[in-house]
Amino acid sequence: MNEIDPVTVEVIANALVYASEEMGVAVGNSAYSANIKERLDHSCALFDARGRLIAQAEHIPVHLGSLPWGLVETLRAIRANGGVRQGDMWVANDPYLTGTHLNDVTVIRPVFFQERLAGYAANKAHHADVGGSVPGSMPSVAADLFAEGLVVPPLRLMVDDLPVGETFALFAANSRTPDARHGDLRAQIAGNLTGERRLLELCDRYGAQTLARAVDRLLDASEMRLRHALRELHDGAFAAEDFLEDRNGTPSLRIALRLTLRDGQATIDYAGTSAQTALPLNAVFGVTLSGVHYALRAVTDPTIPMNDGCFRPVEVRVPEGSLLNPVRPAPVSGGNVETSTRNADVVLQALARAAPGRVPASSGGTMSNVMLGGTRRDGRTWAFYETIGCGMGARPNADGVDGIQCHMTNTANTPIEAIEREFPLRVVRYEFAAGTGGAGRFRGGDGLVRAIEIVESAAHATLLADRHAVGPPGACGGESGARGRHVLLREGRETVLPAKTGLDLEPGDVLVVQTPGGGGYGSPDGRTG
Amino acid sequence: MLRVGIDVGGTFTDVVAVDSESGETLSLKLPSTPREPESGVLAAFDTALRERRAKASTVEFVAHSTTVGTNALLGQIGLELPRVAMLTTHGFRDVIEIGRQTRSRVYDLYVGRPRPLVARGDRFTVRERIGPNGDVLVRLDDAEIARACAELRAVPGIGAVAICLLHSYANDEHERRLAASVSQALPGATVVASSQVDPAYREFERFSTAVVNAALAPLVARYVERVCAGLQARGVRAGLYVMRSDGGLARAERIAQRPASVIESGPASGVIAAGALGERVGIGRLLSFDMGGTTAKAGTIVDGVAAIATEFEAAGRTHSGRAVKGSGYPVRYPFVDLAEVSAGGGTIAWLDAAGSLQVGPLSAGADPGPACYGRSSLATVTDANVVLGRLNPGHLLGGAFPIDAERARTAIAALADALSLRVEDAAAGIVALVDAQMSKALRIVTIERGLDPRDFTLVAFGGSGPLHACALADELGVTRVLVPRHPGVFSAQGLLDAALTERVARPVMRRVPDAGAALADTFQRWESRSRESLLGQGAVADTLAFCREVDARYASQSFELSVGYDQRPEVLSARFHQAHRRRYGYDVAGEPIEIVNARLTATGRLARVCAGRAPRGERSAEAISSRDVWHAGRRLREVAVYQRDALAEGAALSGPAVVEQYDSCTYLAPNWTLRVHDDLLVLQRAPEDA
Repeated sequence: MNEIDPVTVEVIANALVYASEEMGVAVGNSAYSANIKERLDHSCALFDARGRLIAQAEHIPVHLGSLPWGLVETLRAIRANGGVRQGDMWVANDPYLTGTHLNDVTVIRPVFFQERLAGYAANKAHHADVGGSVPGSMPSVAADLFAEGLVVPPLRLMVDDLPVGETFALFAANSRTPDARHGDLRAQIAGNLTGERRLLELCDRYGAQTLARAVDRLLDASEMRLRHALRELHDGAFAAEDFLEDRNGTPSLRIALRLTLRDGQATIDYAGTSAQTALPLNAVFGVTLSGVHYALRAVTDPTIPMNDGCFRPVEVRVPEGSLLNPVRPAPVSGGNVETSTRNADVVLQALARAAPGRVPASSGGTMSNVMLGGTRRDGRTWAFYETIGCGMGARPNADGVDGIQCHMTNTANTPIEAIEREFPLRVVRYEFAAGTGGAGRFRGGDGLVRAIEIVESAAHATLLADRHAVGPPGACGGESGARGRHVLLREGRETVLPAKTGLDLEPGDVLVVQTPGGGGYGSPDGRTG
Repeated sequence: MLRVGIDVGGTFTDVVAVDSESGETLSLKLPSTPREPESGVLAAFDTALRERRAKASTVEFVAHSTTVGTNALLGQIGLELPRVAMLTTHGFRDVIEIGRQTRSRVYDLYVGRPRPLVARGDRFTVRERIGPNGDVLVRLDDAEIARACAELRAVPGIGAVAICLLHSYANDEHERRLAASVSQALPGATVVASSQVDPAYREFERFSTAVVNAALAPLVARYVERVCAGLQARGVRAGLYVMRSDGGLARAERIAQRPASVIESGPASGVIAAGALGERVGIGRLLSFDMGGTTAKAGTIVDGVAAIATEFEAAGRTHSGRAVKGSGYPVRYPFVDLAEVSAGGGTIAWLDAAGSLQVGPLSAGADPGPACYGRSSLATVTDANVVLGRLNPGHLLGGAFPIDAERARTAIAALADALSLRVEDAAAGIVALVDAQMSKALRIVTIERGLDPRDFTLVAFGGSGPLHACALADELGVTRVLVPRHPGVFSAQGLLDAALTERVARPVMRRVPDAGAALADTFQRWESRSRESLLGQGAVADTLAFCREVDARYASQSFELSVGYDQRPEVLSARFHQAHRRRYGYDVAGEPIEIVNARLTATGRLARVCAGRAPRGERSAEAISSRDVWHAGRRLREVAVYQRDALAEGAALSGPAVVEQYDSCTYLAPNWTLRVHDDLLVLQRAPEDA
């Protein structure tokens, strides 16, 4: 039986996607911290024995291309130290191997069927604190990776199916929230064991050979569908560039690329992108990849099953030592949020030229990260982290959405009533920044205003945002969205703060974060409503 | 006396009328009238009475499930929502629209939000502020109230006002004062205060619950009034009861106060029916599987109780059985926990750009319907079942509805040719793929909730459920399937089986040792109030039952688990640790436990359960015909076809076999046996070695 029937392939495809989703549910269910449990800041995937992605649950776009890339790199490192064995569970957070930033902890389970390696179950979850100089492990200044937190090379989290206590202890000892580290790592193990169980069931039912043939077929099918969708775009070479703002607020960090489309093949060359920076804004290669795959998927066909086949028609070249492919130990914590976002903007800009009339104007272009922390009067320490939505870019046929997470992130806000119960903070305003969306035939979405008052005792704030110098551009004659703004209200005085900064706050101080509006689409003269 | 259940669905209105003395049951399927729902309900009632030749005065009660709430939120013509205004804390007018700030489809550049039920211009603010412990940080003064009322009066045509202030769950004084003044200022409008309809923390969900209640209130009140008036005009003296999303009944007049609690009433009734069936035959763990024309729904009953979830999104979308966050309007009321997939008899099979066979999510619906209905050439699941010989190739609905088997074959052949498959293999492929999707729904409500499906008995109903039951049971390792007497109208039956239910809840926000005794008093007070309320609605006194629960969590966590309440702190703690271990696989000994909410559920029956129906007829199991059926790529020749109405109590069959009836069709796979027991079809998988 050499041929495998198309229905079996499709049934197996369904089962694999479902298995990865079930892994995601298992991680979310058993996690301890709200970040994973409620904001679902994690991703799960299954790989074949060759390390090719066969199914991925789609939670967080920034994990999209970085998890598969990270798996290959991490396995390479593990092989150099003797390779995987049955009963192992590996853990790592070294961004230069796993592909995002230190907070994202990757856990990998090699799956064996009848004593032979049958594949891998892997997942990545954002741990709220992995040490470093500031609560939340994403400082506004960091000379190198080591200042950002604990760097963990591939270590065994389980041996012979038994937990390795020392590895758990290492994470706990280096975190401001040690109990949650235990719970969250356990949840990641639970997720991988779920994936393993499902993969083994499929091996049992269909046999390892049939399963492997089905996997070949479904990877080919995804490749074929993506090539088909890429052929519907214009062939040619399309250049695009944009800038991130440095610590002085100058848009000096350049992301430049050239997208070449030819007969269903996409090549993206980042020649001309700025060299890596001393700021924690470098994006490791995995993050760069995820921006490319996010943008291509969104513009072509988001229903194509996500697997290795989707990577084949896409080649990404990034100069080594650049902002988008830094060399160790450049700091990377903010690359995962801010640089990642701008990268997606630039890829979309290039795609807009290859697919006229299909790509919206620029969205807010920043995740507007806010980290607050301090010591309460009773001596307890606290740390709060959130990202704030922005204005979505206007679409060719509709206004952009007001105040929403765009592109590379989709994490939920923390309820005001929860913040005020748990932290010495009071939210005094949370509403649309009216009129901040760019004008156009279709209007960009408005940004948000979130104002937070410090109550009780002194606190330290870290703000990490962008688009404070130049607003998100409009498209096809649409106007730019309004720039973002940080303001400190202290004793009746307003002080404008930089986009990227750290500062000490006193009770009574109010921090006002206004996020950028989206760009408009088409000339405002064409507006009908 | 006659008990009448009327289940209004998107396409059909199902009616079940049971004589409480004889147990005799009448079941009917009539077209729904979404534009004018009350007339469809009354027409269904009239038809039932006429067919039973019963007088309106002999009706004991009418129980009803309605889609009026969902349809109105989805924009049904004829059910337009009123203009809704909102009063909220200054600085927070957009909370209701921002929601959780996520997008419902991550890769969709064209994604939108659901249209806000309150336009931004109709959202007004007042200067006031309450803190998390209920302390007043900024007092709401009378001048501010007067100003807000004046602003509202200046807006023409306001039908409802939602009052939504921060931390009102902890202190409702400001909301109450505003509500009183607004009611006076706008005498024609419904006024809903968030602390009255959902007193729990997390502002967006509470505000949304208040707004949905406000938006639906005028419409649902009018609907209920009209149905009640219509019944009265026909001489019905008994009450009308409506099923809520949690599977409990309430006297119709009561739901007008919290109309958002009935939004999911239809889907709930099927699970309740499965639970009642389990109770009758003494099975505590059931998987309810309801497959109709466009969707399939799965739910669970554990120890006789339907699984309940605490929040849903009204008019939201589902993707592969899971509710899509941010696609609808959150309502924080308990509802029967269901997983729904776009998989039904009318679900369409097609080829994607890579030439792979796909099934759904689009459905041919009732019009134009599957190819075999004769009005389309759409290859659907129903057509596949016709090609495989599982459905009657000549007619459905007991002969009332002709089937064009050639047309079904032609439609599937088009796909088969492109796939280089035999027609029957393509048909089997379609069935396999739709089964895969439905098994996903069944897995979501079991495996993902920490339950093992192999411990469950599957109850298969809906027009198509019994056709697919054996395959799904095999897939999940379930060895027993029950098919009720009237699978096609089983949900309507559930309306008659349901109990009157009252739920009370309030936030506690205290750690376990402190909360103990104070809560005991609260529960006591709630019980006496609920007892009065249930008796007032017509519950039978000695059927009343009360369940005390708390939502608890580890103090440093932000999500809760419900556990049975006990006054003794050590017992309560032990219960929580155990529940956490069962659900999430571990517990954290020594970690302080916080009680977030206290909940009481009070139930009472409307009437005693009917005496068992006498098994009918002494006729043996004789096949009425035979036809070839395809199974696992093989043609099984001359498979026996039985008529459900002719199967006597005790009759036993072994698969392969087909059992046909007016409202459904059961396919018994080769490795399964069937026995008629207690008026049910009991399907049992043969042991592995057979």
